[in-house]
Amino acid sequence: MTNTWYFYLFFAAALVFAGILGLLLRRNLIKLFIAIEVIAKGISLLLLGTGFVKDNILVAQTLVVTFIVVEVSLVATALALIINIYRQTKSLDVRKLARLKG
Amino acid sequence: MIVQTALLIGLVLFSVLAILLRDLLKSAISLAAASLLLGIIFFRMNAPYAGVFEISVVAGLITVLFILTIALTKAGDEVRESRAANWVFPLFFIAFIIIDALVMKGLLRKIPALASGAETGTFGDVLWKGRTFDLVGQIAVILAGVFAVLALFRKRDKHD
Repeated sequence: MTNTWYFYLFFAAALVFAGILGLLLRRNLIKLFIAIEVIAKGISLLLLGTGFVKDNILVAQTLVVTFIVVEVSLVATALALIINIYRQTKSLDVRKLARLKG
Repeated sequence: MIVQTALLIGLVLFSVLAILLRDLLKSAISLAAASLLLGIIFFRMNAPYAGVFEISVVAGLITVLFILTIALTKAGDEVRESRAANWVFPLFFIAFIIIDALVMKGLLRKIPALASGAETGTFGDVLWKGRTFDLVGQIAVILAGVFAVLALFRKRDKHD
């Protein structure tokens, strides 16, 4: 049972690390958001993997469903923000947001 | 277990591709493929509700939202990414995978299995009776998202 848990933990950690590397190395706003989505996938995998190996799959499923709802809400809001930023700056470069001048 | 491992490796590969690919559209489709694989993994873990949500909402709705945003922001591909990212990402990722495998192998011997108890009832029982407060939170989050999008896309007044 424990072996299976470490197996899922290994893949979840790989997904979260890939997402964090993407967040650190990319400059395109949409790419950054795709990296956040990859991290979210790692978290859902970890939640359900833990529930699976501990015979608590029903609770894990409810938590994952709640997490997906939160994720969708986050995506809708963040993409609306990205479109507004694009309208203002005509670019998706995250470095242009660092300029605080009007 | 072999199929599950293959699916998990595919999930990680598509997720890495989604970050590495230069073309935004290909990235979004790669992310959708990763979600699809994650949904299949959920089905194989006896979690059909989570699988259905993952495939319909994350692989479907979120991909559509991403593609819509990419279509609305045409100059998105023109952002100059740092050249170092092309070799830094694979290097660090492979190094992390090796460290990850070693740490998990080490933990396997030291940390015993946590206690677990089998649960009874159905998914509906757990969701509506056990996690009722989560549902209230979900409704609040959905409303917050709707109002945020409405606020961001409202028409400007003449005074602005």
